[in-house]
Amino acid sequence: MSTTTLNHSIESHGHEHAEVTGWRKYIWSLDHKIIGLQYLFTSLGFLFVGGGLALLLRWQLAYPSTQVMANGDVGNPLSLPFINPQFYNSLFTMHATVMVFLVVMPLLIGAFGNYLIPLKIGAGDMAFPLINELSYWVYVLSGAILLGSFFVAGGAAAGGWTSYAPLSSVSAYNGTQIGQSLWCVGIFLNGLASIMGAFNYITTIVNMRAPGMGFFRMPLAVWSLFITAFLLLLAVPVLSAAAAMLFLDLNAGTSFFNPANGGQPLLWQHLFWFFGHPEVYIMILPAMGMVSDILSIFSRKPVFGYRAMVYAMVAIGFLGFIVWGHHMFVSGMNLVLSAAFGVSTMVIAVPSAIKTFNWLGTLWGGSIRFTTAMLNALAFVLMFVIGGLSGIFMASTPVDIFVHHTYFIVAHIHYVLFGGSIFGIFAGIYTWYPKMFGRMLDENLGKIHFGLTFAFYNLCFFPMHNVGLGGMMRRIADPTAYEHLRALQPINQFITLAAIGLGFSQFIFLWNFFRSLRHGKPAGKNPWNATTLEWIVASPPGHGNFEVTPRVYRGAYDYSVPGAPRDFMMQNEPEPSESSQGKAAGRKSVTAG
Amino acid sequence: MKLLETPLMTRTSSLRGLAFLTAFALTLARAQAEIRETSVWWLPRNVNMFGHDVDFLFYIILFLTGVAFIGVFFAMILFLIKYRYRPGVAAIHTHGNNALEVVWTTIPAFIFLALAIYGNEQWSKMRRQTPPANALPVAVVGEQFGWNVRYPGPDGQLGKMVAAKISKENPFGIELADPAGLDDFTTYNELVFPVGRPVRLYLGSKDVIHAFYVPEFRLYQDMVPGRVYDFVWLKAEATGNFQLACNQLCGQGHYKMFGKLSVVPELDYETWAKSKTPPPVTMTGR
Repeated sequence: MSTTTLNHSIESHGHEHAEVTGWRKYIWSLDHKIIGLQYLFTSLGFLFVGGGLALLLRWQLAYPSTQVMANGDVGNPLSLPFINPQFYNSLFTMHATVMVFLVVMPLLIGAFGNYLIPLKIGAGDMAFPLINELSYWVYVLSGAILLGSFFVAGGAAAGGWTSYAPLSSVSAYNGTQIGQSLWCVGIFLNGLASIMGAFNYITTIVNMRAPGMGFFRMPLAVWSLFITAFLLLLAVPVLSAAAAMLFLDLNAGTSFFNPANGGQPLLWQHLFWFFGHPEVYIMILPAMGMVSDILSIFSRKPVFGYRAMVYAMVAIGFLGFIVWGHHMFVSGMNLVLSAAFGVSTMVIAVPSAIKTFNWLGTLWGGSIRFTTAMLNALAFVLMFVIGGLSGIFMASTPVDIFVHHTYFIVAHIHYVLFGGSIFGIFAGIYTWYPKMFGRMLDENLGKIHFGLTFAFYNLCFFPMHNVGLGGMMRRIADPTAYEHLRALQPINQFITLAAIGLGFSQFIFLWNFFRSLRHGKPAGKNPWNATTLEWIVASPPGHGNFEVTPRVYRGAYDYSVPGAPRDFMMQNEPEPSESSQGKAAGRKSVTAG
Repeated sequence: MKLLETPLMTRTSSLRGLAFLTAFALTLARAQAEIRETSVWWLPRNVNMFGHDVDFLFYIILFLTGVAFIGVFFAMILFLIKYRYRPGVAAIHTHGNNALEVVWTTIPAFIFLALAIYGNEQWSKMRRQTPPANALPVAVVGEQFGWNVRYPGPDGQLGKMVAAKISKENPFGIELADPAGLDDFTTYNELVFPVGRPVRLYLGSKDVIHAFYVPEFRLYQDMVPGRVYDFVWLKAEATGNFQLACNQLCGQGHYKMFGKLSVVPELDYETWAKSKTPPPVTMTGR
């Protein structure tokens, strides 16, 4: 019988390692939950580092240290003299690098992926616990190398997180030989960690689902991480290879990207964006999955169009690999090629639209609870819509050409990555914190944190659309150097103030997070009355997760089932049809979707 | 402004907590004061013939995305109010509706495809149209951190540019055997275009990738080293002074890699060109 083999595989994988106890468990534990928490704490730490870098660079934009005053004096009394143009370039390069590789990916994939996948599919642990732990430590090492590069001669990499060659590949051009080389090493190691995580997740999801947990009974959070893992596996090796080539160009005299010696700068762009565009979806899909689940929990309704949601994510995953060229319209691309990439880029908006409509469909007819988690999930939807729609401008070549390297695109990427991913992450933390730590986060503090974050976030990033349209380039250390941008300076200062407000609002979250570890209300097994398997075990779950491997009888979203005793039916609750034969035929068709 | 500042400032001195919010309000007020003078919140004016198509497409997209956003926004607000939790009212148990899925898949698909096709047509139009014969050829070669500019002399022709020949000594990669190049003259960080006459650009780079960007021309072109871009052309429709900015990160001096760009009447252009006496034998630029 197939279920016995499944059971066997869960036993052999889940319990082959003993529990590590005491303080050592936070370093050497192979338990997916501990590794998930390690990822959570580390990447939240990096979030504050990346945010600090952002505030420094925002300060320079508002009060440039290079500014010449009206009276001829050099410098602004409010400016920070240690931010010279080269350091400024390092700041935005490392801000993006930290946020992408050390914060958003590890939070969504490392923290939530590790913590939730085994619990949600009814497994005792990941398929390869040792590789899982190794992946975490390689990630930490990559972070240490990337941040350490600030302290080497020449400073950290300053060629942008996109590291376009030949600026990045020739040290005479970039002046950061060591920093750029360390960037390559850090990115390479980070990629290694991602790849290790990816095949672990795929193996776990394919092989270790509890009996009855068919693919189409998996919660969308698991589906999204499953698809993301495939994207990682296909995209990240390309970046790792490119980083290795860049490292060789810098240190071994090769000329992959330097045209002076016969190399091709566009090769770097193709390799980078072949990774870079799927990367955008890598950083948003898991948030989409979690938010779908959270909207369903707090609307007390099944996800609207579950299968459409799955297919849309698969479509995004597939199409995500054939749109990278739109990042290169500006490089003078052949017209046939730009037409093809233009169409594929427009088409990828369709599955995103499908997801948005289904989220609205989930809210429709619900019984909506405005918890902090729900507020963040709703913000995710709204902000993602803005970020998605502003992307349409970039899919249209002539408009893209104009706005491509302005603050318009900075606004766009932050609406997707902060408005989308970060609100999704907050929604996830507010939802699963009780499971992770056994205590509730304070809802009042949570709502204050949400309100301030939402307000400051929009005050900070929305005007960037305007300054971008006004012609302000990204990646310039001093907008006041340009006559046509001087009039925009008050808006730049306003954005900076909003960014500071946004940054400081996060301390409320930090306070809430750490205070609730000891003082939060005890959560109990299932504080949200949710249906999925992680809520049938104790909070936090013990080593091995499930005392008895659960058997799954239904999909992940049986909320408000008519005639049911409660407004939620756990996935491991047998069909009422098995006890009362009469209803069987009628119920079957409804839950099948 | 004065009226606004004084009462707020005195208040904040007593209430330190409000200092931050006040600064916020003041900057906002100052920013709004700017709007009235220069419309800093929106597109700068367009002076390029091709810019009209870009702006038109921009407004089409803005309209479509605006409608989509307003629709989603109000639907969400409506649902959040109408379907908020009320005791005794249960949620509707539904797993979806296939007809709806088909509708909201096909409608956006058609809109997006139409946009892609229209946008691509515009783009082909801009790129495929060959510059008219009377176009003024101008070569612009970026370097860390400035613009080498080369104009044709009295013969109206630029010396032939070869990407592979671009070097420190020969920034324009000029074919030395080409007689057309002998009377060319060069400038540094200074561009002058005659109004109403097409200008054909020959763009290149000496070192890293630079980009030719003038917002008022709705013009952006990366200049990847190892290549000469000869398909960019423009026609200025109004005179004025503009700034040419490098818009591809090119190193620590990137932020001040800009040049002066003036659009002047044809006659003024001729006078300016004559004033730039060409050196006796100029193969190279600066």
